[in-house]
Amino acid sequence: MTDHSYFTIDNLGLLIAAGMVVIAAGISVLMKLGVAKSLVWSMVRSFVQLLIMGIVLEYVIRQQNVWLVVGLIAIMLIAAVQITMSRAKGVPKGLVPIVLLSLVVTMLIMISIVAELIVRPHPWYAPQVVIPLTGMMLGNTVSALALAMSRFFESMRERYEEVGTLLALGATPWEAARPSVMSSIRLGMLPTIANLASAGIVTIPGMMSGQIIAGGNPLDAARYQFVILTSFSALTLLAGAIILALVYKRCFISYDRYLMPQPAQPLSVRDMLNLRKAVHSGAGNGPAHGTGTGARP
Amino acid sequence: MSPNPTPPAPHLFEASHVTAVMPQQGGDHTVFHDLSFHVDTGEVVDITGPSGAGKSTLLTAFARLNAHTTGTFALDGKDSDSFTPQQWRVRVSYLPQTSTLIGDTVADVIRLPWTLAVRQGERKQEPADMLADEHIRQLLDAMGCADIQLDRNPRDLSGGQAARVSLARTILTKPRVLLADEVDAGLDEENADKVADLLKRAAEQGAGVVRIRHRAPDGRANRIMVLSGGELSEQQAASAAQGEGRRA
Repeated sequence: MTDHSYFTIDNLGLLIAAGMVVIAAGISVLMKLGVAKSLVWSMVRSFVQLLIMGIVLEYVIRQQNVWLVVGLIAIMLIAAVQITMSRAKGVPKGLVPIVLLSLVVTMLIMISIVAELIVRPHPWYAPQVVIPLTGMMLGNTVSALALAMSRFFESMRERYEEVGTLLALGATPWEAARPSVMSSIRLGMLPTIANLASAGIVTIPGMMSGQIIAGGNPLDAARYQFVILTSFSALTLLAGAIILALVYKRCFISYDRYLMPQPAQPLSVRDMLNLRKAVHSGAGNGPAHGTGTGARP
Repeated sequence: MSPNPTPPAPHLFEASHVTAVMPQQGGDHTVFHDLSFHVDTGEVVDITGPSGAGKSTLLTAFARLNAHTTGTFALDGKDSDSFTPQQWRVRVSYLPQTSTLIGDTVADVIRLPWTLAVRQGERKQEPADMLADEHIRQLLDAMGCADIQLDRNPRDLSGGQAARVSLARTILTKPRVLLADEVDAGLDEENADKVADLLKRAAEQGAGVVRIRHRAPDGRANRIMVLSGGELSEQQAASAAQGEGRRA
């Protein structure tokens, strides 16, 4: 990996970066912005998470074992589902299988087309190709899905009069939900399309930057980036369409009657810890400190 | 009075054992329990009663739109479960109190029901111009809506016009039973009168019309029912009898 012109970052570099955050946090304290704690905490968290990811990736790439790759992807999928559910606001319970299904389908398509048809690595499961691709795609899809699902249920709540009128005129649930489905898919796609259009002018996308810093040929990097951006936008649309096609019926009950499901309480790690405390000691007082929300490797 | 033992012929529309239980914090709230109701072809039946008695709930239950109601409903003696929800609502059509006009022009608003899958088959049998602007124009004129241009944006309509467009949209779908939820609320006397005429005409053309009303009786109802305290009862004949002598 580190054979050619490649500038590594030493520990001093890490310290300097961390120092910048500490200074920023200091400014925050002085100006009473109230973000100092979360800033430092997020820094520590990201450092630990990235370090773990780095160690795990190094190991997996060295091993070149199919099952390790599959296992790592499975863990990433579960984390992606958890993050999607925690980011989506006002969605009902029981959507986990649907989110998982849509992520698995898009991921399988992504691996078979982007990795195997376009990049064609040897061996086919080459972790240094498959895993970063999966990670980037999941990151992209997760935010789009969370956005689309939140918007969908919000829109279905707002449109209750329209939905009622449509049903009264003989509309099927799909016909009554369609405007909400369309607008939420569109909203979920917006960031992806914006990325696609601004790439190369406003920004050098992360992947391309990384490849160039790692000493890659900028033209090769551009090709890679193009493939990633375009295929990801197609896959994001697909994931959104799958989810909404499976989810819209949740706004209706038997005999096609309109009934919005109760939004699920977002259950974070902190809630679960509090719950356990309450169960064990009968005194669930005050929010636990520093447990964060949903930390997963 | 309400339990009618073995009627000779089925009513046009009949509802029985209609119960509404609304979920609330700290236990469910029963709005009404085991109500019966019927309406026949050509009849206009008014439902009155205090606010919160569940009049709208009752009507949405009839159209089987309400998630918190149960009951048995039949059209010409045929149980609603033998219809698809869409077929049922095409025949037993609920008209909400607020006019929700979907579309960029009045013509689009009126056409909307024919864009739905449930009427796609029907559309082929209708005259080819069913959805043509001239046809809609004629129908609206015949309904006393000559003052409403088809290319108007529905948002620019007055309250009375919007109510009539909403009503026209439902009437033109020719429902067997028309459930009008206080469609004259907030209208001046003149517009309320026009709306009442439209409904009366729909009844004369063979529909059964059920109206929720808060206003004083307008002489168009064949029967007036009162929903109050969870009970549905027919109002005393004194005022209803006057309804027979129809004076506009």
